[in-house]
Amino acid sequence: MRVVRSGILFAALLLAPAGQAADNAAIKEKAAVCSGCHGENGISQTENIPSLAGQPDQFLQWQLVFFRAGSRKNDQMQPIAEEITNEDIRNFGAYFSQMTPPKAEEDKDPDLSKKGAQVAIGRRCASCHTDSFAGTKAVARLAGQREEYLVKALHDYKAGARVGGGVAAMADVAYHMSDEEITAVSHYLAYFR
Amino acid sequence: MTSMFHRSVLALAAVALLAGTSAGSAQQQDKNRALKKYESGTKEFWTHPPDDWFLGDETEAQKGLAPPSGPPTGASDAELANLVKKIKLPPGFKIDVYASGVLAARQMAWGDKGTLFVGSFGLGNVYAIKDNNGKKEVKTILKGLNMPTGLAVKDGALYVIAVDKLIRYDDIENKLDNPGEGKVVYDDMPSYAAHGWKYIAVDKEGWFYIPFGPPFNVGIPPTSVSQIRRVDPKTGNAEIWALGVRNSVGGDVDPRTGKYWFTENARDWVSDDLPSDKLNMISKIGEHFGYPYCHQGDLPDPKFAMGHKCSEFTPPVLNLGAHVAPLGMKFYTGDQFPPEYKNNILIAEHGSWNRHKYQGGRIMRVIVGPDGKNAKQEVFASGWIEGDQGYLGRPDDIILAKDGSILVADDWAGAIYRISYSKK
Repeated sequence: MRVVRSGILFAALLLAPAGQAADNAAIKEKAAVCSGCHGENGISQTENIPSLAGQPDQFLQWQLVFFRAGSRKNDQMQPIAEEITNEDIRNFGAYFSQMTPPKAEEDKDPDLSKKGAQVAIGRRCASCHTDSFAGTKAVARLAGQREEYLVKALHDYKAGARVGGGVAAMADVAYHMSDEEITAVSHYLAYFR
Repeated sequence: MTSMFHRSVLALAAVALLAGTSAGSAQQQDKNRALKKYESGTKEFWTHPPDDWFLGDETEAQKGLAPPSGPPTGASDAELANLVKKIKLPPGFKIDVYASGVLAARQMAWGDKGTLFVGSFGLGNVYAIKDNNGKKEVKTILKGLNMPTGLAVKDGALYVIAVDKLIRYDDIENKLDNPGEGKVVYDDMPSYAAHGWKYIAVDKEGWFYIPFGPPFNVGIPPTSVSQIRRVDPKTGNAEIWALGVRNSVGGDVDPRTGKYWFTENARDWVSDDLPSDKLNMISKIGEHFGYPYCHQGDLPDPKFAMGHKCSEFTPPVLNLGAHVAPLGMKFYTGDQFPPEYKNNILIAEHGSWNRHKYQGGRIMRVIVGPDGKNAKQEVFASGWIEGDQGYLGRPDDIILAKDGSILVADDWAGAIYRISYSKK
């Protein structure tokens, strides 16, 4: 028994670094298709396209699973997601989650952020997205995300165009939000440091 | 008692406000906010369900407990091979992986030609699993449905229930590549997502028993829910068979009597050990099982008892335990297991999400006669929980295979297991 176990351990030690390096190269190549829209290093420079860098691993995987299943709809993402395997999804999740998240620029409208902070309290955003809004597990990072993308995402949830996980918690939260609230909270989160 | 409760809530709120201003940060304020007080006894509550309908009502000690999220792509084959080694079973029983990659797998049903159909939760998929010379091929045949957790096969047609639509797909096993749009055969159902996911049990006359959960944890439910209906898929006729039922997502027709037995998930946020989830039996049409007035047969609801006594309602056959989350269940009618298992009930327990130490996440065996008296339960299969709040998998449905083995669906690992028995 002990021999077997140490044998496995030995094999694992030998294999893991080599296997990982190979995976990284392969996934980097596959992820090249993402950077066209989502930006180099996972930081988007394109309007209405989210940054992926530093999003929680599980959150990224869930979105790909939702796109593939058709429960999240998007003309660009659906055809891509339909082609990918479970293994790809796990690899993409690991790859983008390990990148350095975007750093928010200087806030030019602190008054709007103040309003947004109140909205975030009222809507209990931090209970799931965490106090730093960095997200966790299946819950998205919001801090430093593109402002107009956050607005779009909240409108998508509000309109029922996107359901999301967590017993549809986001659809239910956004349903009650006014356009003003969405504008303010998106600004607050995009510039949150 | 009530006024004391209000006073302490006010005191808490004041403390929270003070703490918030002194700490200054928005996040601190959020953390120290008083607990949310729900007014779920009003129509307004369920016509505009609150964003956190599954939370709220929690006590200070329960704050932060939230539904865990499983691996989005399920467990890999390597992880599953490891997982089944950890499952404990009675002597002579064996568990194998029947199929993997069945993401969010929920209720199962057999086609006449041996196709296994499997519903799913939030993903909206329905799968067909075919056996190709021992290798299982998992095919997604329907997509984009609204929580198609429940399904059944009858007269060659697949019936899928997606919250407020019962949809029939004719001649399904010859149309796996193109099942078509299907035909909605029954839609007299509210569209609430909350506890709106369903289960189907077919009786001897070909009618379907279907549960209707309330769109919240506890409150005075809309009159169209908190009940079990019996629906004729041919005509769309329906009868209300049980009232006062909270969230039921599993049941089976007793092969001995034809009566419907069902599992029921009790209200949340009383405590880690109260109230117990239940196994029930409907003896006659129209019985009331207590919700929201009375839980586990003997616990009047602290707020919604509203003068009712537990003795007014049908008691459970068996209290299964708090937060064990019993879902799919089947009478064991096969011949493979030892003879003492005949007509026992096997229950898939999904396990806790808002108990500090998870329990459930296993398969229970209930030994009980057709009258429902003196029921006993024991653990049949366990090992899916690791540590206090860790899941390797979460069983949610059971179906018998032709050879008398059973299949178990797991929506966390995205897998179907087979449990078989052979004499040594």
